[in-house]
Amino acid sequence: MKLGRTQIVVGCVVAALLLALGPTFLPSFYVRVGQLMLYSAGLGLAWAILGGFAGYASFGHSAFIGVGAFTAGLIEARFNSLPAPLLLLTGLAAGGLSCAILSALIAYPILRLRGTFFAIAMLGVSHVTAEVTNNIDFFQGSLGLNFPPIAPSTMDPASFFYELFLAGAALILLIAWWIRRSRFGSGLLSIREDEDTARMLGVPTERYKRLAFVVSAVLTGLMGVIYAHSLGYITTDSVYRDDTNLSLIVYSLLGGMGTLFGPAIGACLLVFITQVILGRLLDFHLFATGLLLVLLVLSAPGGVLGLMKRRRKAA
Amino acid sequence: MSILAVDHLSKNFRGLAAISDVTFEIEAGSITSIIGPNGAGKSTMFNLITGYLAPTSGSVSFQGRRITGMPTNRIAELGVARAFQIARPFRELSVHENVRIGALFGKAGPRDVEATTVRALQLANISDLSRQAASALTVGQLRHLEVARAIATRADLLLADEPCAGLNPTETAAMINVLRQVRSSGVTVVLVEHDMPSVMEVSDRILVLDAGRLIADGAPATVANDPKVIAAYLGTPDAA
Repeated sequence: MKLGRTQIVVGCVVAALLLALGPTFLPSFYVRVGQLMLYSAGLGLAWAILGGFAGYASFGHSAFIGVGAFTAGLIEARFNSLPAPLLLLTGLAAGGLSCAILSALIAYPILRLRGTFFAIAMLGVSHVTAEVTNNIDFFQGSLGLNFPPIAPSTMDPASFFYELFLAGAALILLIAWWIRRSRFGSGLLSIREDEDTARMLGVPTERYKRLAFVVSAVLTGLMGVIYAHSLGYITTDSVYRDDTNLSLIVYSLLGGMGTLFGPAIGACLLVFITQVILGRLLDFHLFATGLLLVLLVLSAPGGVLGLMKRRRKAA
Repeated sequence: MSILAVDHLSKNFRGLAAISDVTFEIEAGSITSIIGPNGAGKSTMFNLITGYLAPTSGSVSFQGRRITGMPTNRIAELGVARAFQIARPFRELSVHENVRIGALFGKAGPRDVEATTVRALQLANISDLSRQAASALTVGQLRHLEVARAIATRADLLLADEPCAGLNPTETAAMINVLRQVRSSGVTVVLVEHDMPSVMEVSDRILVLDAGRLIADGAPATVANDPKVIAAYLGTPDAA
């Protein structure tokens, strides 16, 4: 069955509305799981603009979560008399801008590396930014930063951040969808498939890679700003996390590398598995997660979406 | 009028001269073959023209404009396209999507993308394969895909690197036919080719490279009887 375009759009709007209503009927534990799912989905989608479309798998995107979060925190502390919505917008703008500047600065040298070399260099970037945040007093990485409460008093903070994460993830999905259908997106796919041939056909590979990198970094940074607000207090360790670096790759692997919805599906699946199914097995949940990942990737190399495609073909 | 001018072009790899002081011009609307023994510098010549390699000295001009030193994608935008010998399709994409990327970029730019794609598929005679994944194609079909994707860029000059290598006689005839069609559509074709019967049949003119030097240049019949060419391929009688 092939869905028409109207059906897909209507389906997405209905799904978004249902998701938005989630906190009104879900128990509070599941509101928090939902938060984590939407946060992860947003990050996974942002990562995939570079990693999935252009094939430059970054192993250090937590750098942008951290840089976004800390910039927002430091800036907001100076404007703390602003009303809450404006304060959040200021933080988002500052966090997004700092990620744009950082990514634009390192784009040229780092995107000359391909494959594993790029991935490892990004891991280095995330560690260096984390060390800088931690060791230079100005950034208060080891001391920690407080974020003023921004949830309206009429609303439960958990529900409020759930909705914020939903808005962020939806925005990133829209941007990814638009990129996927554009000339820019086709160019990114051709870079993933064969960069030299792409250039031979006239694809401005250098410019496109840099643009994809900056877009991916900024969107990751925005999610980082929201995340920091939802925590209320952050230190270096709460935003620059190696398990996040790893998870972003896993989301795409699980859901379907290079697909539009794959990273979001993979993120929800992994959060569901780790938080709901294995949530009670704290001692052994990392082991179980690892085992499950190996099994899933071995049995479905194309991820969940790849598996569904195979089923459809067989039927 | 010449569409491509190669002027005193040389390329050294460390000490080795892969191309030394080669000068020639290509007439617009012609099919020209570059032949020569293995290691003569044919592929290097293509790499220099498309900007994949930078020459040690000399220059290349396309439609009167010096393209030496330009990035590869800029040269493609001006109207130079290349089909690889070892096909380099975008494997995960369909045949249609492969060709569409040519139409989205290159000289075509993002205008009439769908029509340009369909026309290129027809010209290369692979319209019936358009829904297939590129990874499912045979070697012969992949060569056609290379040509389709290259001409979808609306290039004025197609550089085809051994389009007939490893093809059986039927496939070779089909490829020669496609190259003729491409020329009829107004594209100048330059081939690197080993398959001599195809070369003699399709070319208006043949350039012979040997050890990086241009040793013969002329109509197929003239070149085939040139003692220097025979010597380059077979060796001289007194050398034995």
